[in-house]
Amino acid sequence: MQITGMKWGAKLLKYVDFPTAEILGPEASPEEIQALIDKWGGCLIKPIFKGGIGKKGKAGLVGKATDLRTALKEKERLYFAEHTHGNQSSKSEGVTFESFVKAEHEIYVSITDNTQYRAPTLTITHHGGMDIEELPSHQIAVVPFDPLTGLKGFVISNALDKMNAPNEILSPLVQNITKLWDLFNNYGMTTLEINPIRIYRDPVSKRLIPMACDFKCAFDGDDRNSKRLNLPANLDNTNLSEYELEVNQLRTYQGQSDVYVINPAGTITAMTFGGGANALVTELLGDRATISSDFGGNPPYAKMKQISDITYRHWLPQTNVLFIIGGKANNTDIYETFRAMGDGLRTYFNERGPTPLFVVVGRGGPNLIQGMGYMKDTLDSLGLPHAMFGYDSAMSEVINYAQAVDEWMRNGGREVIAKKLGVKK
Amino acid sequence: MPSFHTQPREGQNFMLPRGEKEFPYFVGIHSLADMATKEDRVCVLNILGGESTTVTPISHEYSGGNIVCGVMPGRSGSVMKTKVGDIPVYNNVLEAINDGKRFNVAVVYVPPDGVKDAVIEAVRVNPDLKKVVILTEKVKVKHARMIRQYCQWRGVDVFGANCLGIGDAHNHVRIGGALGGNAPHESLVPGSIALYSNSGNFTTTIATYLLTAGWGTTVSLSSGKDVYIHFAAPEFTHAMHNDDRSKAAVMYIEPGGYYEKDLVFQKPVVACVVGRWKAKLTRSCGHAGAIAGSGDDAAAKERWFMEKFGVKAIFTPETPACSAKGAVVTNIAHIPQAMTSVMMMNGIRPDFEPRGNLAPKCWFFSPQDIELPKELQLPVVEALEPYNQQIAALGRQVGAIFPRQPMKDCSGASRMDAATQVSQLHGVSVLDAATHTLEENLVLALIREYPNAMGAAMANVAMNAFVNQSGTTGLLAADAAREAGSSPNVVLSTGVAIVGPNEVKPAREAVQAFIDLFGMSGMTDPANLSFDLQPVLARASQDGIRERLVGSKSGKRGKAMLTALENRGCKSVFLEFLKALTDGVDGGLRDSTVLAAICCHLGWRPLMKRRLSVTTMLAMPWHFRIFSTLVGCVVPSDRQDKKAFQGVDNGELMDSWSFTETAFLALLGRRPTEEELFGFSVLVGLLVTNGPGTISAQGPKGAVSADGPMDPGRIQVNKGYIGFLTHTGYAHGGNGYEAIAFLMERFKDSGLTDPGNPNHGLNLDAMAMAFATEYKAYKAKAKFAGSMDYAKIPCVNHPVFKGKPENFDPREVFVDNLFKGRKSYNIFQDFYHRLVHALFKSGISTNVYCVNVDAVIAVILLKMLWKPYANGEITASALESAAFTTFLFGRMIGSAAEIDDHTNRGRDMDTRTAASACSFVS
Repeated sequence: MQITGMKWGAKLLKYVDFPTAEILGPEASPEEIQALIDKWGGCLIKPIFKGGIGKKGKAGLVGKATDLRTALKEKERLYFAEHTHGNQSSKSEGVTFESFVKAEHEIYVSITDNTQYRAPTLTITHHGGMDIEELPSHQIAVVPFDPLTGLKGFVISNALDKMNAPNEILSPLVQNITKLWDLFNNYGMTTLEINPIRIYRDPVSKRLIPMACDFKCAFDGDDRNSKRLNLPANLDNTNLSEYELEVNQLRTYQGQSDVYVINPAGTITAMTFGGGANALVTELLGDRATISSDFGGNPPYAKMKQISDITYRHWLPQTNVLFIIGGKANNTDIYETFRAMGDGLRTYFNERGPTPLFVVVGRGGPNLIQGMGYMKDTLDSLGLPHAMFGYDSAMSEVINYAQAVDEWMRNGGREVIAKKLGVKK
Repeated sequence: MPSFHTQPREGQNFMLPRGEKEFPYFVGIHSLADMATKEDRVCVLNILGGESTTVTPISHEYSGGNIVCGVMPGRSGSVMKTKVGDIPVYNNVLEAINDGKRFNVAVVYVPPDGVKDAVIEAVRVNPDLKKVVILTEKVKVKHARMIRQYCQWRGVDVFGANCLGIGDAHNHVRIGGALGGNAPHESLVPGSIALYSNSGNFTTTIATYLLTAGWGTTVSLSSGKDVYIHFAAPEFTHAMHNDDRSKAAVMYIEPGGYYEKDLVFQKPVVACVVGRWKAKLTRSCGHAGAIAGSGDDAAAKERWFMEKFGVKAIFTPETPACSAKGAVVTNIAHIPQAMTSVMMMNGIRPDFEPRGNLAPKCWFFSPQDIELPKELQLPVVEALEPYNQQIAALGRQVGAIFPRQPMKDCSGASRMDAATQVSQLHGVSVLDAATHTLEENLVLALIREYPNAMGAAMANVAMNAFVNQSGTTGLLAADAAREAGSSPNVVLSTGVAIVGPNEVKPAREAVQAFIDLFGMSGMTDPANLSFDLQPVLARASQDGIRERLVGSKSGKRGKAMLTALENRGCKSVFLEFLKALTDGVDGGLRDSTVLAAICCHLGWRPLMKRRLSVTTMLAMPWHFRIFSTLVGCVVPSDRQDKKAFQGVDNGELMDSWSFTETAFLALLGRRPTEEELFGFSVLVGLLVTNGPGTISAQGPKGAVSADGPMDPGRIQVNKGYIGFLTHTGYAHGGNGYEAIAFLMERFKDSGLTDPGNPNHGLNLDAMAMAFATEYKAYKAKAKFAGSMDYAKIPCVNHPVFKGKPENFDPREVFVDNLFKGRKSYNIFQDFYHRLVHALFKSGISTNVYCVNVDAVIAVILLKMLWKPYANGEITASALESAAFTTFLFGRMIGSAAEIDDHTNRGRDMDTRTAASACSFVS
């Protein structure tokens, strides 16, 4: 799960007492907005996008207002704004009103796991206000640190010192940025980015206060600690389909059960085993596939049967080719998984009647022939045509064959099988 | 004591042990030759866990016994058995160390939440530890950080997590995980290619693919694909350079992370980069890190490698773009050819002659008689060794083999849907079973599908042939039990006890003989008489099988059975075979042989489809004999003699009675009318099963479990039925009588003569309201007296079907409609429907209760028995006995299925409850 923006960012930062700009949500009344403008001299109006979509500013999706009328006009403009960045599209669900923060300095800071250092790494610069990628290397510090002791003040201090950052910002930053480690480490994050932190001089105490003005973070899906934040489940922009939701409920320690709906109108349903096979099959099938899946990791019979039941229920009615594909398994028991998938087919046919289907199998691994034998018997008894390839066939060739079968079925073959099975239109 | 780096660095602790000087962090492995050596000694953490149990023995055997011990909390003193000796198990690593075990590698199979602590503990207490291989997937990133840092401090190399370990084909050593599956030698063939893969499965698959171009491997490393790859591409590349055996490498790379960006190769490399399409996905699927951010997606990684190799295109067979430095492919099938091309540029020839090829090879193909276009028609290719032998053996295998598992409280035969309360037997709901006859349901219980009309006729002959128990010890015992006042289940169990294994031995042997003769003959449908019997007959004479089937004397019952089968028009290859076998020869067919032939006819098609096991086939005659005995022993010895059963000639029973009719006859002493027969079938069908949790299923399952199903020959089928019978009683099975007693009380003085006549002249509404008023007063009185233990009205209301203004038990509704469809009226059911409304109207219930399915049983039975009861022909006690026995007839069907299922799938003593789950009550 990823979060962007201050609506939820401000709430998370409050857990560790990290100062933030003052934020009002979409429900703010005109009086509250007016008070915010009066106090801070103005506000930014930002659309609320779920998930990790970025570059809103560059897309002109951040409004500015120094009076209520403009603020409300911007609210109207941005409330349901749509935004596409990279391969992600999102529609706004409201706006935030974020106070202006008059700043003398602008800071970029992030904590993430860096694969080059193989350690959690602080990235920081006081040359904020522009894209981090555009800065020369001497103006940005990338510092790995020890996860067992955490992000210490000296790490931040040394980094800023090396970049010749102004002395006056060192202490406020050291005091506050160390707090981010608590948020990052204790709640299962893999990335935390605040850009910008605007350093505001408190008019009364004259002290500098770093205030977070935007927020981005990503959580580790395998770490339950993020649950302690009690964030709403629908914060992510990944709108899971009913099928994905059902399969996700089966995610347990033993056995993968990753699925992604590729094309709800696809005609090849691939039960894929292994991350590698998943990548190859997804690549080669493209939009013909209903789903991208990885069911490897030696799932036990019961789990595989449940997965099969769910998958068949959702996809078999439209499927031409049921494609069972994986490499030469190391420890996934082919007999157990094939038995579950075969029994799943039998259950489906028992409960919903036959459906025209061609089954293509490519697999290797422990108890291979036992598994293929079971599948063959099942398919024979259900009257389904099938071809099963050994693991010494190139997986891409097996995929080509599945596609050729699909092509034939799209051009009349489906009706031929339907007739054979006695399926009425 | 390791030496330390002392150069101060920002942030990270600089007191790291000195490893390879090329890295800013600790790396201990200098060469791939050091990764999995013959000298490495291994401790497996969580050794007796599910995955390790399968994988560890194979690794140990393949590596010549390199695992010195394993750890599993609470299992100290256990051992893991392997072909090369037992591996001792300790509670923890410290205990192993203190016991003198020395090892330098820890392999981690611990569940995700425990991985961090397990690794730290192993490293903490064992100064010799140098490598940790983590197989576990879904380890938290937070824990991965800590594991890395702790092991960095202690100078330990970590592999994984979420990997499949390391295999060294030259050293014949596999450490951690399951590279090469259960036959590592097939994939890990010594050669000159080092293999690094983000995918565990593809590590093995690529090694196998390389063989087709004549390339073997040195070290195969499944790196894992978590966010933290502890031993990643840079470390692997460094070690590959230092390994003289490795002349080149294959790297299988997925999107995500910058591990490969700065690699500098000194040896040729073929990089397979996949996942371009995945850039379209908005979240990860498959490997955790396989969704990339900006700059580390598949396209970027392809570019990194292409720049390193100085190539401008992806290598494909059509455009073989490569240099002496390497090639980039996006399809693993192109790796072997790319490797050969690159190596040729370096003047290096393959390690050996190509083994096999990657052309599509179809091992199993069936178009199911559908005419496919030419390009889709595939020749079946003989599989490579040893799979070709396994496929051949599969062709020779007769029947199904079910995997064994603990079958306590679970069943492959029955299940109950908690939401609908409707149970199923072999996928047939009891509602559907209610529309089938007793004999059909009995056959279903054993062969998992209904017989056709001829199959049912043959079953009727088989069961009726043995129903007459006159002169048997079993009937004497049953009579004695009856005389002693035992309940019907006890009476019948005494009779069944006598039907022991010796009683059915000839029939079992005959079934085995049929399977031996016909199993590989190609005969799949015994109803198809065009099958050529001559080869089978010849074999029967040669192998002495004839003597096993034909007796020296003329068998009267056997002959009568054959006549009955003839009279019923039954045709079967097995019967034709028996006729041919005895044609013109002295001696007659044993009844057990005919019984075996009938069983084989019924079970043959599912046996050939491998839906049925040989074990089931061998047990079928025993089950059939018990069905006959259970029905036969209902009738006391004064009402059966050598020739007739309840006054009906044995031959007539075989010739023209269904077993349902015979069961009715046993209970009520007469042949049922068509209407009665239907009602009786519905009644029995509804009672077939209530899932594996019901007491009557627990009994037979426990009986089988105690005999030890892992050796199915030891299972005493009759004891299974005794288990069923002892697990029924007045509370479970006898309770149908409560409703009968209730109805008899209501109708005893009503003058009712025919419960099936809708013009009965009784005011049922008034009767119902009168009872409701009476009951309300009784209940109020009981409550006033402080007793909540007042008598409840049987068969109304249900814990599931309640809470609506008007409630219905769908099973009762189904049966009600079934009878309405036949225009069959039942006054007792009508009364029950009016009663629930009266209870509501009188304020006893807050809504209209349902009439539950138990009432159906009572009303059908009472309808059949009302006339003899009203005429004084049977007593109330006989009525109760009939109700109980009817329940036993129905549940006999489900029990047959449970006995057979548990025999096929169960493990020895698997119905035990662990002592820890039991409690003492004082």
